Amino acid sequence: MNKNAESWLSRKKKLMLSLIGVPVLVGAWWAFRPEKLFVNEKVNEAAPAALSAEPEALYTGRLEGKVHQTSGRATVYKTTDGKEYLRLSDFTTSNGPDVHVVLVRAENKALDEEIVKGELESVELGTLKGNQGDQNYDLPASVDLDKYQAVAIYCERFHAIFGVARLEKF
Amino acid sequence: MVRMIKAGLAFTALAGAFLLQPSLRAQDSMKQDSMKQDEMKHDDMKKDKMQDDKMMHDGKAKTLETGKFHGKVHATSGRATLYQEADGKLVLRLTNFKTSNGPDVHVILVATKDAPDDANFLKDNTEKVELGKLKGNEGDQNYEIPAGTDLTKFRTVSIYCERFNANFGAAPLEKF
Repeated sequence: MNKNAESWLSRKKKLMLSLIGVPVLVGAWWAFRPEKLFVNEKVNEAAPAALSAEPEALYTGRLEGKVHQTSGRATVYKTTDGKEYLRLSDFTTSNGPDVHVVLVRAENKALDEEIVKGELESVELGTLKGNQGDQNYDLPASVDLDKYQAVAIYCERFHAIFGVARLEKF
Repeated sequence: MVRMIKAGLAFTALAGAFLLQPSLRAQDSMKQDSMKQDEMKHDDMKKDKMQDDKMMHDGKAKTLETGKFHGKVHATSGRATLYQEADGKLVLRLTNFKTSNGPDVHVILVATKDAPDDANFLKDNTEKVELGKLKGNEGDQNYEIPAGTDLTKFRTVSIYCERFNANFGAAPLEKF
């Protein structure tokens, strides 16, 4: 009994504190919801119905000009039957001789150059079909897209990189 | 003397003709080449467009815009993509998405080109379009965009904590 009376808070003060403190704590919890720091809410919604039958976009990147002004987007799609292809959209580059669409390893130093010295280590996708407009190129089934993460518009005759798109996960 | 000059001129003319010939021919063939290429190009592009119609736009969804999320304070990453369905309805889809969980978090469109981590939409009076409460802080998810939203104006998707007016992360949209 004695000990209690000596404690640093009187009964009255304790009551007051809890009357104020509890609502403050509740309020703070409501506002900050600190437990959410440790709780994840995972969702996994399917694509909109209209998209489900369409090819799925895997990677995409914006084209940037090097030797020649080049713009647009390069996107890798996978069709419902598992075939992969690259699509250029909103695409413009300058016309030129012997221009190809190739995949290059993203870390390839040659991509920093405008004119490649020596051979460009690349995977050929085909001759550029047009210097403007949307176009598709089939990807060889064997190509490893984890490694070849850059698309280059490449003039083989002059070893000139017209433009590059670095692919990012869609 | 005159003879020598004549002979010299004749020789020069001959040599010139000989030297110029291949380059002329080359130019010619290049012209033909490029013409051929042009023709081929037209054909190819025609073919390609038809192919696209088959493969891509079967009268279904069309991809309009896409952007990557950035946000360091609340570690936000992933991609926001805007699709238009055949009936004109606009859908925003988040893929590969991750942000920190928090209270009262919403997905909104803001009328800016991009938004840094410390963007203060209230102070800057940034116009907003509400798309809905964040369904989850991880994973793929879709949000409908209200009809009549001016997408030339609202260029950024923001993960926005309304309670604290905090921008968790933003994805500036780019033309697909």
